[in-house]
Amino acid sequence: MSTITFKGTRDGLVVTLGENSWTDTISELATQLQRPNAQSFFRGARVLLETGSRALDGLQLEELSALFAQYNMTLAAVAGEGSPPILLDAMRQAPPPPESIPLELAHATPPNPPLPTAPVLLVQRTVRSGQRVDFAGAVIVIGDVNPGAVVAASEDVIVWGKLRGVVHAGAPSNDEAMVGALILAPTQLRIGRYIARAADDKRPRNLPAEVARVREGRIVVEPWSGA
Amino acid sequence: MASQVITITSGKGGVGKTTATANLGIALAQRGRRVVCLDADIGLRNLDVVMGLENRIVYDLVDVIEQRAHLRQALIQDKRLPELFLLPAAQTREKTAINETQMRALCAQLKTEFDFILVDSPAGIEHGFKNALAPADQVLVVVTPEVSSVRDADRIIGLVEATEKPAPQLILNRMQPTLIKRGEMLDIADVLEILAIELIGIVPEDETIITSANRGQPAVLLDHSAAGAAFIRIARRLLGEQVPFGALEEPSLLARLANFFRR
Ligand SMILES: Nc1ncnc2c1ncn2[C@@H]1O[C@H](COP(=O)(O)OP(=O)(O)OP(=O)(O)O)[C@@H](O)[C@H]1O
Ligand SMILES: [Mg+2]
Repeated sequence: MSTITFKGTRDGLVVTLGENSWTDTISELATQLQRPNAQSFFRGARVLLETGSRALDGLQLEELSALFAQYNMTLAAVAGEGSPPILLDAMRQAPPPPESIPLELAHATPPNPPLPTAPVLLVQRTVRSGQRVDFAGAVIVIGDVNPGAVVAASEDVIVWGKLRGVVHAGAPSNDEAMVGALILAPTQLRIGRYIARAADDKRPRNLPAEVARVREGRIVVEPWSGA
Repeated sequence: MASQVITITSGKGGVGKTTATANLGIALAQRGRRVVCLDADIGLRNLDVVMGLENRIVYDLVDVIEQRAHLRQALIQDKRLPELFLLPAAQTREKTAINETQMRALCAQLKTEFDFILVDSPAGIEHGFKNALAPADQVLVVVTPEVSSVRDADRIIGLVEATEKPAPQLILNRMQPTLIKRGEMLDIADVLEILAIELIGIVPEDETIITSANRGQPAVLLDHSAAGAAFIRIARRLLGEQVPFGALEEPSLLARLANFFRR
């Protein structure tokens, strides 16, 4: 029996997940999307996902997002009961083109590369010990990242709160990514291929917001000037 | 007030779940509520010992669930307070002997007869914890001012938040004012800053807890126990009374807390 429902609205296609197990849900969704007449109906749709009482983690969101992408659909927003994360598609501006491209990269780049529009995952809750947010794109946390929690993103990580867990921006190897937080006191901070551990001294609270990036081969932390 | 299932849990072991369950059970029964303390720590039961009722156990929770005994036969009435009952855990079984559905059904049945069902959760985040959490209308997380305890409490709070249950409330146990003053222990603000849930009470380190538990006379029953008085305040807060926080908190700290929750 089908537990997933689809409803077309002006804002996009509302997909409501049922109460089935995660694996059943994913395989049922795949079957539904594959149906020949469904394909033309869904193609290119902007999906608003209703998760009900189910709490999805970053990996599950990625799995869904990838499945929708196969049918040219974009996962635009996620809503559920409680305090859900909301996924915003293509919120970021494309970065300006780099001034000079290293030779081997220049050769590898197709003549008209598609504009990179990294998706942004907005997490509107505190990420607690034992919880992990993994996302292909940038992550914004409105809340704290507590000790014992992990946030990993292929782009920037911004924490509008206290960052005290483990954070990896630019995972696995994008050294251009940055980490910003109102209070930046991670247990361990990684950017791309670089790694920094927390200073052992107990720093005073209420520092100005800070941002960490890689400069000249090491991670440096500086006040967040808003740039 | 509708009857409530309150689960007392912590993640980390040995931080005072059983102590809190016994003392809150007595304090609520002293205030005229019908209370059952349910020991969900199957295989490591000790709520009966702390309550001084061990020698009266005939049937246990698993006997009821497997229908070898009626609920009525397994419930042990407290010898001091007629409104207080204990449903003991099985000592010789595994936590997997019962499941979440059975726990929910059992608690639904208890709700028809009791005002409060206090569930003493086992340590950890596995099967036994999930069984204890399943029937909860409200969750109390017990934490001590140590880094490892706070870490585990945070983990538990995250798991509760992933359900549709209301946000848990916090009992801060074994506070030692002298250690805090010397900076050798996390202070109340440190703990609350990380866990960011509502505080329902602070229980001081108190040796009467240990001596009274050994005699099966929980501290709430003693006249001069600071910890007993703290549990009574928590029970009154559970009953909806506005009870000012105790002497452990200086005014400046209270102001900080208030600020913190206003964010
Ligand atoms: N406020 C306190 N002051 C002094 N001792 C305490 C206090 N609270 C608890 N204790 C002692 O700590 C020990 C552990 O308490 P308790 O058995 O209640 O913990 P628990 O969380 O139920 O443990 P478990 O995880 O093993 O079930 C006991 O010896 C108890 O007497
Ligand atoms: Mg115990």
